[in-house]
Amino acid sequence: MSSDIVVSCKGVSRTYQEESVPVHALRGVDFEFARGEFVSIAGPSGSGKSTLLNVIGGLDRPDAGTITVDGVELNGLNETELSDLRLHKMGFVFQSYNLIPVLSALENVEFIMQLQGVGPAERAERAMSMLDSLDIVDLADRRPGDMSGGQQQRVAIARSIVTNPVLLLADEPSANLDSATTEDLLQLLRRLNEERGVSILTATHDPIVMSYAQRQVNLRDGAIVEDSAAKVA
Amino acid sequence: MAEIAATASKRDVGRGRGLVAAIAWRSLWRNRRRTWLTAGGIAFGVSLVVFSMAFQAGSYGDMIYNATSFLTGQVQIQRADYIELSRFEQTIGDATETLRRVEQQAGVLSATARVEAFALVSVDERSFGAQVLGVDVERERQVVNFFDRLSRGRVMAGPDETVIGSGLARNLNADLGDEIVVLGSAKRGGVAAMVLDIVGIFDSGISELDRSLLFVPIAAVQNEFGLGDEVHTIVVRTQVDDSRAVVEALGHQLPEGLSVRNWDEVLPEIRQGIDVDRLGGMFMYAIVLMIITFSIVNTFTMTVFERLREFSMLKAVGMRPGKIVLMVQIEALLLWAIGVGIAMGLMVPLLAWLQSSGIYLGEAIVELAKQYYITDRIYPALGPASLLAAPAVMLAATQIAAFASSLRIYWLRAAAGVRAAE
Ligand SMILES: Nc1ncnc2c1ncn2[C@@H]1O[C@H](COP(=O)(O)OP(=O)(O)O)[C@@H](O)[C@H]1O
Ligand SMILES: [Mg+2]
Repeated sequence: MSSDIVVSCKGVSRTYQEESVPVHALRGVDFEFARGEFVSIAGPSGSGKSTLLNVIGGLDRPDAGTITVDGVELNGLNETELSDLRLHKMGFVFQSYNLIPVLSALENVEFIMQLQGVGPAERAERAMSMLDSLDIVDLADRRPGDMSGGQQQRVAIARSIVTNPVLLLADEPSANLDSATTEDLLQLLRRLNEERGVSILTATHDPIVMSYAQRQVNLRDGAIVEDSAAKVA
Repeated sequence: MAEIAATASKRDVGRGRGLVAAIAWRSLWRNRRRTWLTAGGIAFGVSLVVFSMAFQAGSYGDMIYNATSFLTGQVQIQRADYIELSRFEQTIGDATETLRRVEQQAGVLSATARVEAFALVSVDERSFGAQVLGVDVERERQVVNFFDRLSRGRVMAGPDETVIGSGLARNLNADLGDEIVVLGSAKRGGVAAMVLDIVGIFDSGISELDRSLLFVPIAAVQNEFGLGDEVHTIVVRTQVDDSRAVVEALGHQLPEGLSVRNWDEVLPEIRQGIDVDRLGGMFMYAIVLMIITFSIVNTFTMTVFERLREFSMLKAVGMRPGKIVLMVQIEALLLWAIGVGIAMGLMVPLLAWLQSSGIYLGEAIVELAKQYYITDRIYPALGPASLLAAPAVMLAATQIAAFASSLRIYWLRAAAGVRAAE
């Protein structure tokens, strides 16, 4: 497993300049993530979880250090290349506003494949079978506005994994959900991880989410203070 | 699984060019009121400009036709040096043959020849300088309508008869039936003298003509002034729209030294009047379309602002900003199509109907109309220019507005969606 590394961070730092006061969101993070892992980044609010997910996902750039995703070093990519990397290699589930409001669930799932250049017949078929395997076929024709938060997150997961990404990034996926819905969602993520081998990296301060992950990384003030993989190994 | 595939492909039917257009179209209807207001603005502006331009163009056609049909014709042929110096001996020789060739030219409806001489005219003791126009009345009537509008009397029927302007008659204290003596110098020196009966008086409303012109049968003038088969001017009637082509063709056909001029060279003031009017119209249209454009810019600024979260999410999942901007531009294209569709749906049938019925300008305008070469009924011209100009300008305006408003998408943080709810 350890030979098949999906994400590798070396000395990653990110400092925000907030009204001329520097905020050190990440301070020299070293982190490796193997294919097929389900990792939860934990830590209090403001500890740098989102920042870490953003730099790994190519949404933000570190000030120092290198990040390699699926063998590609992100520092060397321009904006367009980063955009294409996100489209083809990453799946994203944000805490809210994941879906295009004027498209149905099915169309939302299809749309990401259209961006990838998949033909209409194939993408319709793949989108439908993805909804089917997530047990949300009945949502196919509904628009996000007519769905509950949990339903929207399920559609977002369908959207994010239908492209077979090397990595699924989920930032506080349960932030707007009640605990029962959160349990359902995490069971789904665990199933996808175990049955389909989807690599999942999630950031959360929700103990329920942490309990579902195989490996937990604790972040405090922009630095890793504990990594359960270290104990297991 | 097969079932699912079947449902999926059924769903796909009718979705056509993909989801980008679907997003653009449906997003338009998220704010119906604003979309209808903006499309209505486009429809209003385009209708107004198309309508006005059609009538403007139509009035020019009428104006040119009326001005040129009066006396000058649509095309004139003269010796090139005569245009500049107007010397009596600068004539077109071989006039009969030249006139015949002109008449055979495609696009020429009819043609006539004129001789122009300066002379001293007297009735009893009064004398004035005047311009003698030697004309063939029968031919003239095929080319211009001047002789259909005599205020008194009739046209010349014999070589000793003349029709004179009302101002000239007044100055000479002459009336129908009086004798008028014409004295000029013939081509090879010597005196040209004619004694003519006044059989008609014209009142064209143009005092310059009324004070200085008299018409005499062309053969008599040629005879007395020592001209052979020579004339000064050949006046040609064409459709207004054909005149330029006829000028071109005759220019190649006729011997060198002859100059073929279009109506706008013969009557430059008509062309200038049209240009000034057109410029004024353009200025007004520009203002109307600019006001509409401001509302479009406003609409798209709002649209983009309201959807920043959507766009930042799309950027985050890997949609290139250029594609997002393109999506907004498709939205602008659809909005434009709605507005222009409404405008054209109303204006094309309306203008087509008005093209046959025209609009009557009312009693008050009739007198004025005569004086300024316009008719009391105006008709629109449905040319491609007046129909397409406003839609084309609006297309550019909507596209530029959409593009300018969505430029900020390039700088939008792709991750904003992640933090948005914090
Ligand atoms: N775009 C930003 N601009 C300025 N400061 C930021 C920005 N994003 C994050 N920060 C700061 O960086 C630190 C880490 O934030 P974040 O990664 O969002 O933490 P977490 O997700 O663990 O709550 C916080 O102090 C936060 O205020
Ligand atoms: Mg966070």
